[in-house]
Amino acid sequence: MTMDLGQIIKEKAHELLASKKVECVLGYERATDGKTARPLFAYTPEETERFIFDETCVHGLAKFLLNWKDKSTAIVAKPCDVRSVNLLLQEKQLNRDKVFIMGVVCPGVAECSWDRVGPPQQRCNACPQHNPPVYDFLVGEPVPEKEPQNGVDPEVARIKAMTAAERRAFWNQQFDRCVRCYACRQACPGCYCTECFVDQVDPTWVGIRHSPADNHMWNTVRGFHLAGRCTQCGECQRVCPVNIPLMLVNDELTQEVGDKFAFQPGMDPSTLPPFATFKKDEHLGIG
Amino acid sequence: MAKFISKTDLLAWLEGLMKERTLAAPIKEEGVTRFAPVKKVADIVMDPGATDFSPKDWFFPPSETLFTVSKADGKTVITPRTMEKEAILFGLHPCDGLGVALMDLPFLAEPADASYAEKREKTTLVGLACRQSRPECFCTSLGSNPFDATYLDVLLIEAGGGYIVQSKTEKGQKLLASAKLTESNVETPAPPAVNTVPVEGLVAIAPHVFNDAFWTRLADRCIHCNMCAFVCPACYCFDIRDYVGKGGVVERVRSWESCQAAGFTKIAGGYTPRPTKAARLRQRFYHKFLYMPKQLGSIGCTGCGRCVRVCPVNIDIREIITTMQKIGAKVAVGAP
Repeated sequence: MTMDLGQIIKEKAHELLASKKVECVLGYERATDGKTARPLFAYTPEETERFIFDETCVHGLAKFLLNWKDKSTAIVAKPCDVRSVNLLLQEKQLNRDKVFIMGVVCPGVAECSWDRVGPPQQRCNACPQHNPPVYDFLVGEPVPEKEPQNGVDPEVARIKAMTAAERRAFWNQQFDRCVRCYACRQACPGCYCTECFVDQVDPTWVGIRHSPADNHMWNTVRGFHLAGRCTQCGECQRVCPVNIPLMLVNDELTQEVGDKFAFQPGMDPSTLPPFATFKKDEHLGIG
Repeated sequence: MAKFISKTDLLAWLEGLMKERTLAAPIKEEGVTRFAPVKKVADIVMDPGATDFSPKDWFFPPSETLFTVSKADGKTVITPRTMEKEAILFGLHPCDGLGVALMDLPFLAEPADASYAEKREKTTLVGLACRQSRPECFCTSLGSNPFDATYLDVLLIEAGGGYIVQSKTEKGQKLLASAKLTESNVETPAPPAVNTVPVEGLVAIAPHVFNDAFWTRLADRCIHCNMCAFVCPACYCFDIRDYVGKGGVVERVRSWESCQAAGFTKIAGGYTPRPTKAARLRQRFYHKFLYMPKQLGSIGCTGCGRCVRVCPVNIDIREIITTMQKIGAKVAVGAP
């Protein structure tokens, strides 16, 4: 990294708060392990000194914007996070006038966990989007984008090549570990229902029991609710305490929707996701 | 002179015990280490550091059937789930022993929880002293230490190519009867140093920090994923529901819950006494630092550091304790 992106963020955040253009700036600061990062919410110009930006800034911050929809907020956003902001704008969860996007030219982030900074994340290697698709202020110099990798993700292809019975066995083994903490939901920018279907009691869609059927139900429906909406930020998989490869579900559905509707979620704030819109001449395949 | 067991004899002892008892120990699956029934002793993670999940998994599992209710000859029959065999929980660290003791407080208070009490009665705790501490460990601040045998039936301290064996309980002695122990003059190594956190005086100061804006700021970052509560050896919130299965047999199921989940405090009519994220986040720490000491006699934390490690947004209990002390000290100075 030739430019000190953290310094640029500090200065811009200071200016935004000092001029009262925004009430809060969402970004990153150093975590208590002294190695990784954690989200920082700066409300005063003085607090902006704590901002950093480096390969440990893995967290997607878009969802935090939902904490205070009515207040002007600036957000430090990597391209995948910008896509999440776009998703929330498309779905009318945010007011564009209240959001100031500090889009970061992203060098990719690392596999981070407590007290450990690992190798670059796999998803970043494959990511075709290093420049933020939308921004109000650009952090860093734009870089030429790599050619998007065509074809099916090799891991998704491996699962798809299985027989139905093999696939069921694979997912049962993965979902059996689920402790139903719903961290995946809590971290997901697309999961913002006032009451999640899994929390509904009447009717009860999913039991609290950790049975194969209930675990399968939760994990599958979570994936389906994100079909054509997942911005591939990877937060669900990052926060999963039992390492369930949740992005395999999301990536498969992203590919399906991409093939059928030529749509990539969150690339701009105005194009509605396929399942949030309807065209009169659309072939529904149901009649 | 100390009682000693070689590494080979330890495994042989455990293998022998497995013939009549269930052995649960740290097992690693897909990168996650947790206490689970052992199929073969070679699978046991012998130096687990701290397991990702705590030993409460064994006594208070993520999800369990407490009893079934069925009809037979016109009568209602309640059948509690019981343990078939006695069990050994192996590989707990001393702080985990404290964790089990803390879990006893709510579950064994009269009327004791039948499922928990049975498991506790039929399980012998065999602990491993810590060879090293981690940066997030702070057990000595909560009254335990890396070689603490207080809450364990057997403690093994690695030394001289094997383990020094300590046991003060009847359960432990009984279990050790089949172990090939020798007398050895191997010296007990020094316990590893552990980071400290200012816990002293926290209970007294906690009420003064309740209304501080600190909790709102902290809740900004918290995503309320429940993981801290799930990996905590002392968190015991749960939800109970009944399920009707085949033939009208009803199962009463208990699963982990967290006081931080929005639905946890929701009552009939939809009212929620703790409506904000900040109120729910604060509840978890006040339960540990104020309500548990007042109601059950002990702070609800062992200093194991699991919550620090698992949190995806670095909500750090050590930082919270330190901050509460700082704020509390200021408030106390300003108090009349």
